[in-house]
Amino acid sequence: MSKKEKLLLKASIAFAVMFAVTPAVNAMHIMEGYLPAKYCIAWGVICVPFLAAGFISLKKKIAANRKSITLIAMAGAFIFVISSLKIPSVTGSCSHMTGTGLGAILFGPAAVSILGIIVLLFQAILLAHGGLTTLGANTFSMAIAGPLLSFAIYKLCGKFKVNRKVSVFLAAFLGDLFTYCVTSIQLAMAYPSEAGGAGASAVKFLGVFAPTQLPLAVIEGILTVIIIMAMESYAKPELKAIGFLKEAK
Amino acid sequence: MIVVDKLCYRSGLRYVNAAEKFIFSIITLLFCVVSRSLVIAGIAFAINGWLTMKKGRIPGALYAKLLAVPFSFLILSTLAVIVNVSKVPLDAYAIPVGSFFITGSFQSMMFGVQLIGTAMASVSCLYFLSLNTTMTDFLGVLAKLHCPEILMELMLLIYRFIFVLMETASAIMVSQKSRLGNKDFRTSVDSFGKMGAGLLIRAFKRSNALYDAMESRCYDGKIRVLEENHSAKRKEIAAIAVFELVLLGITVWRKMI
Repeated sequence: MSKKEKLLLKASIAFAVMFAVTPAVNAMHIMEGYLPAKYCIAWGVICVPFLAAGFISLKKKIAANRKSITLIAMAGAFIFVISSLKIPSVTGSCSHMTGTGLGAILFGPAAVSILGIIVLLFQAILLAHGGLTTLGANTFSMAIAGPLLSFAIYKLCGKFKVNRKVSVFLAAFLGDLFTYCVTSIQLAMAYPSEAGGAGASAVKFLGVFAPTQLPLAVIEGILTVIIIMAMESYAKPELKAIGFLKEAK
Repeated sequence: MIVVDKLCYRSGLRYVNAAEKFIFSIITLLFCVVSRSLVIAGIAFAINGWLTMKKGRIPGALYAKLLAVPFSFLILSTLAVIVNVSKVPLDAYAIPVGSFFITGSFQSMMFGVQLIGTAMASVSCLYFLSLNTTMTDFLGVLAKLHCPEILMELMLLIYRFIFVLMETASAIMVSQKSRLGNKDFRTSVDSFGKMGAGLLIRAFKRSNALYDAMESRCYDGKIRVLEENHSAKRKEIAAIAVFELVLLGITVWRKMI
């Protein structure tokens, strides 16, 4: 091999390695350091009332039954693990589910807000998904806005006696989509477009992330349905213990 | 199973006072985000890299791989920042599409570069903390910051359970794979869902057993762990103070001009 050929080979290997490392599509955590300081603080402040509500509800739950603390902690660990595992995807890139829709359906949005911020903190530190400065913004989109919508849709479907599978699917699917929309809007507000302002910028962010996030939301919906259905057929006593079945029937 | 968690236990800086590492990385991180200057980003990135790889003895190849984790987010969102669709072409480039232009200005290109620099430097701050501090030390720092007790306890328990559940999940997935559980897309989605359900059921069962075990060992709502105390060295504190003052100086100087 001549020197030139060697160089070409090395360059092509480097190029290939670069692409081998990259395709990790996460559930759209805003990365560390990506938001300006004032937006970091603002989103953090917006989260506070929701977190306080979640904290009080958790405290009550634990005071009523001390045993529930291990259950709640297990739920948190479950959300972390399920969101850190690769889910099957059509394109071959590796993607992860958020798991917060499932959590909201099973444990209610109040508990998920606190579990969500803990999981996001762990994800930032252990997996570098998200970050410490963007914790507020990520908490709002993933642990508050998404789960709240999931829960509301699930309850609404329950009221109108929609098929259970359909309602679980809709709750998880729309919750995931909502998270993705909120994140896009958060990014757009921080980085308004020079041509068209924040509105145009939101459209751009939505468009850029759509190819990865839309299929992800559908798969998340399907997975949540399978998990809930399997839980209902195999783990009725456990579901009663967390107050899921009693509410549903 | 989680690479970062394994690496931090063999880091050369593991026994340095945790509060010191925490303060160093958080303040540096804040300077990166607040100043948004490429100079500070460069300095922080270099110092964090040096500390993590040389002092912490974290393998360079692994460090590079870890830095690439948020890469796809970075590329996609920066693309959204620097690419515009508008009726008027901007100064850097403009590709006509019908009656519109796909266009961008030099200012936004510079801004994009600045954004990438800041984000990468911030990630390196985060990695300095997580690759050199064990989670228990980190939680100890949070406790010193008067994080509410219930939260502390939940975090400690969740951290323990993560590994238990991960092991269970990977065992289930291995047995699913060995039984053609992911022979095509449909089956693999079904398998993943079933794994999730099985995992959750096991988690619930285990949480009951665990509570009983804890209670039989006099659990009264608080887990007390003996902490190893590594006091901060004067020299290190001085070095951190000087470094942060330099960053402060650069920030003020950049804002002045």
